Amino acid sequence: MALRRPAFLTSVALLFLFGLSACATAPGAGSPPASAADSGPPPSVAPSAAAAAYPVTLTDDTGRDVVISAEPQRIVSLAPSNTEIVCALGACDRLVGVTDFDDYPAEVADVDDVVIAASVDVELVVAAEPDLVLAAGNELTPSTVIEQLDGLGLPLLVLYPESLEEVYADIELLGRALDRASEADALVAGMEERVAEVVAAVDGAERPLTLYEVFHAEGTTYTAGDGSFLASLLELAGAEPLTGDAQGVLDTETLVAADPRLILLGTASYDQSLADPDTALATVSARAGWAELAAVRDGAVVPYLDDIVTTRPGPRIVDGLEALARAIHPDRFGSDQ
Amino acid sequence: MSATTAVPSLAFGPSAGRSALVIGGGALFVLLAATAAVTLGTSGIGVGDAVAIVVHRLTGIGPVTWPASAETIVWELRLPRVVTGMVVGAGLACAGTVFQALLRNPMADPYIIGPAAGASLGAVVALLLPVATAGWLGIGLVQTLAFVGGLLTVLVVLAIARGRGGTPVVTLLLAGYAISSLLSAGVALLIFSSGERLAAVISWLLGSLAGASWPRVAVAAPLIVVSFTLLLLRWRRLNALLLGEGPAAHLGIEVEREKRVLTVLAALATSAAVAVSGTIGFVGLVVPHLVRLVVGPDHRLLLPASLLYGAGLLVVADLGARLAGGVPVGVVTALLGAPFFLWLLRRRVTGVEDRP
Repeated sequence: MALRRPAFLTSVALLFLFGLSACATAPGAGSPPASAADSGPPPSVAPSAAAAAYPVTLTDDTGRDVVISAEPQRIVSLAPSNTEIVCALGACDRLVGVTDFDDYPAEVADVDDVVIAASVDVELVVAAEPDLVLAAGNELTPSTVIEQLDGLGLPLLVLYPESLEEVYADIELLGRALDRASEADALVAGMEERVAEVVAAVDGAERPLTLYEVFHAEGTTYTAGDGSFLASLLELAGAEPLTGDAQGVLDTETLVAADPRLILLGTASYDQSLADPDTALATVSARAGWAELAAVRDGAVVPYLDDIVTTRPGPRIVDGLEALARAIHPDRFGSDQ
Repeated sequence: MSATTAVPSLAFGPSAGRSALVIGGGALFVLLAATAAVTLGTSGIGVGDAVAIVVHRLTGIGPVTWPASAETIVWELRLPRVVTGMVVGAGLACAGTVFQALLRNPMADPYIIGPAAGASLGAVVALLLPVATAGWLGIGLVQTLAFVGGLLTVLVVLAIARGRGGTPVVTLLLAGYAISSLLSAGVALLIFSSGERLAAVISWLLGSLAGASWPRVAVAAPLIVVSFTLLLLRWRRLNALLLGEGPAAHLGIEVEREKRVLTVLAALATSAAVAVSGTIGFVGLVVPHLVRLVVGPDHRLLLPASLLYGAGLLVVADLGARLAGGVPVGVVTALLGAPFFLWLLRRRVTGVEDRP
């Protein structure tokens, strides 16, 4: 008889890991954002009114109090969204370590990678001699790594915005950390203005029940989680999001019962077979139970290639919101793009 | 070891010269592995600097010619990891050897009667608690509950398996298997409902030495070292048990008591190892076989040799895992060890070395 530990557990674990890494690594493989032209004007670079008084004590998104003793000169960013905020605040030249997913702005390609294939190399982080480390929450930066860097005495802020308001708050937080409060204010004001324009543009339009496909595995679709950031963006963009559970898991029965009118394939950014509208329709039609969905019958299956800007909670999240609104309500935006 | 020669029949190993070669080679392997692991890494610190940093920290000798970050990397990141790898590898290989002899089962590994499942449940429970647990007891609640879970599981299995006439090996195995299955179901249920903590749970279950730190070494290393030292001293009793429980009893071994003592000691080493490294496979199962193929079944040599080669293998594997971008160390131990083991096994099966 087999006297091994149940292999089942390992299988389950590996399955989960596969699903996870597929989600985690996807942004690196995507095509470059198509909406660069939509980006607003660069943030004004008005000099700060007065030098911030260091040391400054900041509270990060996990409630940790962090003392920044002097204006950071060597910043390590462990998430692309953090990198984008640092650069939007005009401190791109202070980055001494980023992730290998970082693709925006283009100049971060020259910065050394300290996160490789979604795995933080703690040794490389320490070797970069940072005076500020910007981690991501929700295990995107593993909590063991955060504990380890914390234990080595590196000033570390965990940023994990789960709504537009929290993106604004994180930009303001970094503004204070980097002594760029006025730049942060200007950046946030510009974003708020553009969000208001999107909301006005879709105001009064019919709100189609919309499935945003984040990831698809046999019989299970990952979509916007109930109460998630992505769900709130879909609402702002004039859709009724079809949400999964808190983790975004949606089984096919629920999907068929809900019968969305519109399907946005965020997966198209990473899967060539979904990037072309005709093959995309054929691919999703072939999935069990999908052929009879109203969206599939009507051909309202849209390869959505702006997944990175839509799911990366940095300054370009507004580009993502605009792209969503255009995809959901093309009639409301005319030909001005 | 203060080996009296009163029972010469229990010392049936290879010659003194061969023993010295095996033990000396093992010690050299551990030393080379540790040196490589301390001096090599992704950050490109020079080998000379790395050695100088260790010498400087140990003796205070030499001028500081390196940046502070290099010292942090060598002393706070690499060295505790290497020491953890050594004691964990040694502990698992030693526990595996003991369970294989005790249970007379070639598939026995340190986890066979439940410590891995118990430790996993303890660790996953701690990971899912909605409180900050990192600083708990200086080593972390995850590590503490993993250790307690592992040890407690083995004690429960022992208690369940113990009947009026002692603890039959088959009952021990089956009770361990049943309890493991039960606890694994609990772990699977927790994985299923772990939500945003899923990644942390999975990475713990896969096993890694990345979380090594001096405080954890300070707690785990003494537990493991004491356990395997006591196990080493019991080589004579293990040899006796290889003959079967009846013959061992005739040789004057208190078989029932001995089984419990050996089980608890091996479980202690295993639980402490799993607490600081997660469940790393292969080392505890294959290293004892590998060494046995070379040195034979005499535990006077088999135990210390397994311990050394287990320590060296895990340090080398962890170095590989580190340089390969943090792949799970269990993957590397198997990739390095399995082909070598198969070659050795095949050589033994075909009897190459026995040909005139």
